[in-house]
Amino acid sequence: MNLFGVLDISGSALTAERIRAEVIAVNMANAQTTRTAAGGPYVRQQVVFQSSGGAPAIGFEDLLAAAGQGPRMSSGEGPEGVRVAAVVPDRTAPIERYDPQHPDADKDGFVALPDINPLTEMADLMGASRAYGLNSSAIQATKAMIASSLEILK
Amino acid sequence: MQITSGTTNLLEHYLDLAATQLKVTAGNMANVDTPGFKTVGFDFEAEMRRADPGGEDGESAPVLDRVGGLISRPDGNNVSMDREGMKMADAQLKFKTGIALLRSDFAQISEAIHSDTK
Repeated sequence: MNLFGVLDISGSALTAERIRAEVIAVNMANAQTTRTAAGGPYVRQQVVFQSSGGAPAIGFEDLLAAAGQGPRMSSGEGPEGVRVAAVVPDRTAPIERYDPQHPDADKDGFVALPDINPLTEMADLMGASRAYGLNSSAIQATKAMIASSLEILK
Repeated sequence: MQITSGTTNLLEHYLDLAATQLKVTAGNMANVDTPGFKTVGFDFEAEMRRADPGGEDGESAPVLDRVGGLISRPDGNNVSMDREGMKMADAQLKFKTGIALLRSDFAQISEAIHSDTK
């Protein structure tokens, strides 16, 4: 049993939550962006988390294989952390706002703006921040345990 | 000639289980935002009872299972921060207890070794 492996698990969560917070920050920063390299207004991005290990999110095959004997895993197949599987664009249609003075307004005077709700983004950011804190306290706990195992040597 | 006692072997298993519990809890905490993820755990007492101090190292990694009785969120995830926090504190205390007992065990042996020089 390797205690340092626990640090990798919690570390993977810190990385994933930080990426999530970064993506949220990008979304909020681009709430009014009407020009992008791909053309058109900015498209809101979302992160997709995936557990990397023996016990991933249950799928149909997983349940079918476990039918009869219950969802039991063999030993040593515990969760092994988390990773960002993808950053996917949110395909919600942009908001059309009437603003004829805007340089990117169409011939009818409407500007296409990204559909970004600050409330959603802030709530999501708070969730990422809390999850980051949770995992960093897990790291503190692991560090305390490694330090106490050194006590045997004294 | 064996220096360590049966208690030492039991304590080793105890520490192993406490570390495994920490690892499993850290895994659950890491996946607190993963859709569809189910909390994983194992029965500490049952695994401790499975340890046979007289047996020839028959111990293996504990059997992990999905934890029942937890409420799933709409995205299928059922990780409870409260439960994981408690489990982590529990694992830490168990580990510290094991270390303290192991130290006293070694102190006894050391005492026996040095008893003639007093």
